[in-house]
Amino acid sequence: MALSMMESNNRLIYNDAGQGPVQHQFSPYTDNGGSIVAIGGPGFAIIASDTRLTSGFAIYTREQGKLHSLTNAAVLGASGCWCDVLSLTRLIQARMKLYKHEHQKDMSAAALAQMLSTMLYGRRFFPYYVSNVIAGLDEEGNGVVYSYDPVGHCDKNMYHAGGSSGALLQPLLDSQIGLKNMAIKPTAPLTVEKALQITKDVFTSAAERDIKCGDGVIIRIITKDGIREETFKLRFD
Amino acid sequence: MSILAYNGGAVVGMKGNGCVAIASDKRFGIQLQTIGLDFDKIFEVGPKIYMGIPGLATDTQTVNQRMKFRTNLYELKENRPVSPKVLSAMISNLLYEHRFGPYFVEPIVVGLDGNNEPYISTFDSIGCVSEPEDFVAAGTCDDQLFGMCEALWKPNMNPDELFEAVSQALVNACDRDAISGWGAKVYVIEKDKVTIRNLRTRMD
Amino acid sequence: MFLTRSEYDRGVNTFSPEGRIFQVEYAIEAIKLGSTVIGICTSEGVVLVVEKRITSPLMEPSTIEKIAEVDKHIGVACSGLTADSKTLIDRARLESQNHWFTYNEKMSVESVSQAVSNLAIKFGDSDDDEGAMSRPFGVALLFAGCDEKGPQLYHMDPSGTYVQYDAKAIGSGSEGAQQTLVEMYNKTMTLKEATKTSLTILKQVMEEKLNSTNVEVAVVTPTARFHMFSKEEVEEAIKDVA
Repeated sequence: MALSMMESNNRLIYNDAGQGPVQHQFSPYTDNGGSIVAIGGPGFAIIASDTRLTSGFAIYTREQGKLHSLTNAAVLGASGCWCDVLSLTRLIQARMKLYKHEHQKDMSAAALAQMLSTMLYGRRFFPYYVSNVIAGLDEEGNGVVYSYDPVGHCDKNMYHAGGSSGALLQPLLDSQIGLKNMAIKPTAPLTVEKALQITKDVFTSAAERDIKCGDGVIIRIITKDGIREETFKLRFD
Repeated sequence: MSILAYNGGAVVGMKGNGCVAIASDKRFGIQLQTIGLDFDKIFEVGPKIYMGIPGLATDTQTVNQRMKFRTNLYELKENRPVSPKVLSAMISNLLYEHRFGPYFVEPIVVGLDGNNEPYISTFDSIGCVSEPEDFVAAGTCDDQLFGMCEALWKPNMNPDELFEAVSQALVNACDRDAISGWGAKVYVIEKDKVTIRNLRTRMD
Repeated sequence: MFLTRSEYDRGVNTFSPEGRIFQVEYAIEAIKLGSTVIGICTSEGVVLVVEKRITSPLMEPSTIEKIAEVDKHIGVACSGLTADSKTLIDRARLESQNHWFTYNEKMSVESVSQAVSNLAIKFGDSDDDEGAMSRPFGVALLFAGCDEKGPQLYHMDPSGTYVQYDAKAIGSGSEGAQQTLVEMYNKTMTLKEATKTSLTILKQVMEEKLNSTNVEVAVVTPTARFHMFSKEEVEEAIKDVA
């Protein structure tokens, strides 16, 4: 029938139901955006995320922070495929409880960092689609930042920008925190106030250009006295 | 990977107070292999008009030559130099003529117009023009450039401030892109002079 | 009594009416046939000394290894069925490396003891678990190590019970040795004093005369970590042992 129609009318016949199999593909990942900035300094670490959760051009919510306090000395920032973030953070929390019961102590930032790396690599062939950043304090109480790729490559830094605005923010941090390409470098050590100001500035910049970034910022400041939280408004469009 | 990122490279332009600046990296490569360290992506169109053409290197040169052809013809026919606005229109036309087989470039134009007012514009590869208030960025590290410019740009910068802003933006952006960098060239255009500076950058 | 016992002392998965598992108790008895091992924990580090039974002059003494390195910061000494100890030491090494791999930190002495204990009580009749033993292990272990809590000494017996000690003796001479340890131990002793004390006690309970071939000595300190004494070092250590 279809063949004869094609011959007589010389028209294209669209592949309709009943004419061959219709294929559906399952796509297991979605990018829900989210940006993380973390900065470590002497005696402190700060980590910040935006609060917008998106899917394509849609905004799911304007008030979803992406920070997860793991211990008194470590906060995880995770963005990407939000369902993977939820699943991964739950698993991390479970593994931390197991560790605590097995070894009678809280996990250090370094132990967490290594564990996350092995957990991510454990899913080498069906990865968590998550951009992870851990900010915390090391054994001496100084700030450290660990950043990851989705399959567990771990990098220890003093600052990092990850997530959807990572490319926009990282060179800014290189310039302002890393003091790269500067002829005269300031000698004073980084303070919490300076780091906070830079964090707010870079998020304001990212919100201008990245449609996945906006609405607000949640900042957690980690010191030996515990974790303090601050919020900050971004453009709301 | 996109053909736009086959050779690598980036260009940025900024408006200042009575001045404009344009800067680009100097790398020429084939994917991740670096071939040359003195590849011009910025071309002088008039004494106070420059265009930067990042993208596929062969198209960079072809678009430049085609624009040279058309601006020469314009100046002979009209007996007056092209203004930045006219140049923008001409680039847009050229690119749109190839709507269904485009040049793989995303040019930018910077210059001072007849009243020495700063002008900047940017194009997509098929000729859609945009004339922003502040800055333009294009190339393989445009994300990084936008992040830098958004933080460093402020209104009414003098030529020195403008040079510093555009240089910092370009160099720090290129340092976070594997296929841009290997030196940089910065042009600061004022009403009576053009200052060209070559920047030394990290070469890795 | 004998009748009850013969009924319940065969299976490792059956309690006697008095609430005992005889095979485990027999295994603990087996340790008392083993060579004597003494460990002393001081604030400077932990020392382990072991008697090596040279049963024949044709025997190569260096092949009897009763002290083993588990990790750079943990050593272990064993008494009882030496063959069984190899399995447990292998597990201790595996767990310690696995911990380092997963957490990038050294495993604590207690956690290593716990991990080995988990293997020690995995015995039973069932054929389900391929790797598991059908009977309790016939060894007792002394774990000596230095972690973030400082120098520590742990004792583990075939029942899997592990307890921390300041000083502990296991093996054939353990009863007398433990008694002497209680008398001679004090918290402020140096590692050198502890080494001398342990060798002195070992000498008292040994049948053979103490020399550099029939004794093994190892120390674990926070800085140098696990260190097995060379023949010369052993000679130096036993020189002034009365």
